[in-house]
Amino acid sequence: MGIILSYTLLSLPFVNNESSWTLPAFNFLFVSLTFPLNGALVKKVFLLITGDFVCLLWNYLISLLAHTFVYSFGDIFNTLYMIFTPLLNLFMIVSFWSVSLTVLARGRGKVGVGI
Amino acid sequence: MTAEILEALFFVLTSLMIAYLIRHYIFTITVLRGTRKNRTATFQQNAPHQPTVSILVPARNEEKVIERILQRMTELTYPKDKLQVIVVDDGSTDATPSIAQHYSNICKHIMVVHRKQDEGGKGKPAALNAGLKYANGEVILCFDADYYPQKDIVEKLAQEFADPKVGAVQGRVTVLNEPKNLVTRIVALERIGGYRVDQEARENLTLITQFGGTVGGFRRSLLEALGGWDESMLAEDTDLTFRVYLAGYKVRYVGDAESYEEAVDNWRAYWKQRYRWSRGHMECFFKYTKKVLTSKNLRLREKIDGFLLLNVYFMPILVLFSWIIGIPMFFLKSSQLFAILWTAVPISLYSFVGNFAPFFEVGVGVYLDGRKRAQWLIPLLIFTFLYNIPICTKAFIDVILSKISRKHKSHWEKTRHLGNGNRYIMN
Repeated sequence: MGIILSYTLLSLPFVNNESSWTLPAFNFLFVSLTFPLNGALVKKVFLLITGDFVCLLWNYLISLLAHTFVYSFGDIFNTLYMIFTPLLNLFMIVSFWSVSLTVLARGRGKVGVGI
Repeated sequence: MTAEILEALFFVLTSLMIAYLIRHYIFTITVLRGTRKNRTATFQQNAPHQPTVSILVPARNEEKVIERILQRMTELTYPKDKLQVIVVDDGSTDATPSIAQHYSNICKHIMVVHRKQDEGGKGKPAALNAGLKYANGEVILCFDADYYPQKDIVEKLAQEFADPKVGAVQGRVTVLNEPKNLVTRIVALERIGGYRVDQEARENLTLITQFGGTVGGFRRSLLEALGGWDESMLAEDTDLTFRVYLAGYKVRYVGDAESYEEAVDNWRAYWKQRYRWSRGHMECFFKYTKKVLTSKNLRLREKIDGFLLLNVYFMPILVLFSWIIGIPMFFLKSSQLFAILWTAVPISLYSFVGNFAPFFEVGVGVYLDGRKRAQWLIPLLIFTFLYNIPICTKAFIDVILSKISRKHKSHWEKTRHLGNGNRYIMN
């Protein structure tokens, strides 16, 4: 709990409107679909916390990039940012989740098909 | 006013997408919890159910793959006195007839039905109907010529017919030539999501389990009562699935009855195959939606699932449409609700790939299969979805045009098999 509280407080400066939906979506997906899989709980919690940090950082970098473009080229980039942010966030979620599955799958035997 | 109308339309579209996401989320959770019901326990406790079985293998110009499945037909462990294998040479112009005839000469239970060149080439349903005339088994199973089933697959599939409510069975399809290239690897992911999670969950939740056209079969009496395969349909498998359910029977999925297939290995072949599937499925939508919703043989949950299943190939078009509507909304005055719903659109981009399994369904399926690296390709599924948009849009336009002109001009575009899966079979 202490770890989760600490990281939440530390990450608050990076939370913006976009990450406010990305984080719950990622956490919901991860907890409900990854925690029931085989593997140590510590490993899963570690992956979840890492994912949250990556998620926040990803959002923060994209928003910085958007601010730079808006400042340099005009307000149209603000609209483009709003249109494409959900897609970019989802790309991050899917990628991180896929990598997490790979980590959890390590050490398990291949079931495969017996012919 | 324009903004309000667009927003209302957008709301309807995203509601449908969210309905699919919830459906597949429930599927995934169901499989994760392993709530498989022990439906056949009462039958399995008795002696094994071994009815007489006829296996149909339709083949048109399959010289590069036909030997593989025929060799496997000689190795099946099912009692040979209860087994009949019928190869339907559908007017082939290559060595397929001679290869099939060779196996027929050395194995008593294999026979070949030769169709003349002017009779053949009218599609798989026509070839299957031609073979059905010669079948004498109580159960009719079908395998495509490029398939390579387990030796004991017939036992696993036939056993399910001990339950008199079962009208059809479906086994699992796995990609044989998966390592060949990116296309085959992505098709393999689609197959895993579709069978390991989607079909399994529908079976567990007693929803509409889909007969996939191969690696499965029917109770012969039911198949004949239904009039065999509909030769005018491009998705004859989906067509028969709904006919079975509407007749009051069930399709049972047997996940451990597995067969390898040789998947399409280039984007052009992928287009042709998926175009045929999507157009055929859309034809089934127009044919069965009303019947499914008003059927007295289906429960409410089956009606809802059947409706969503019939709609599934429209989803890429609807997602495209939601982008077309949604982007101008950012320049018009739109509500906070729109901003929230907009987040559902990209999720849908990862959710209607191939057999229309969302990324989380594919991921869990891959994990449950014990795979260690295939997950890395899941982010790329978005490109498959984007490729499916023009495929489904063209299929939709063609279906609508054929409805308007009242000309049914469905042409069966056969998938060519090059035999590149042979190298992955270890003898």
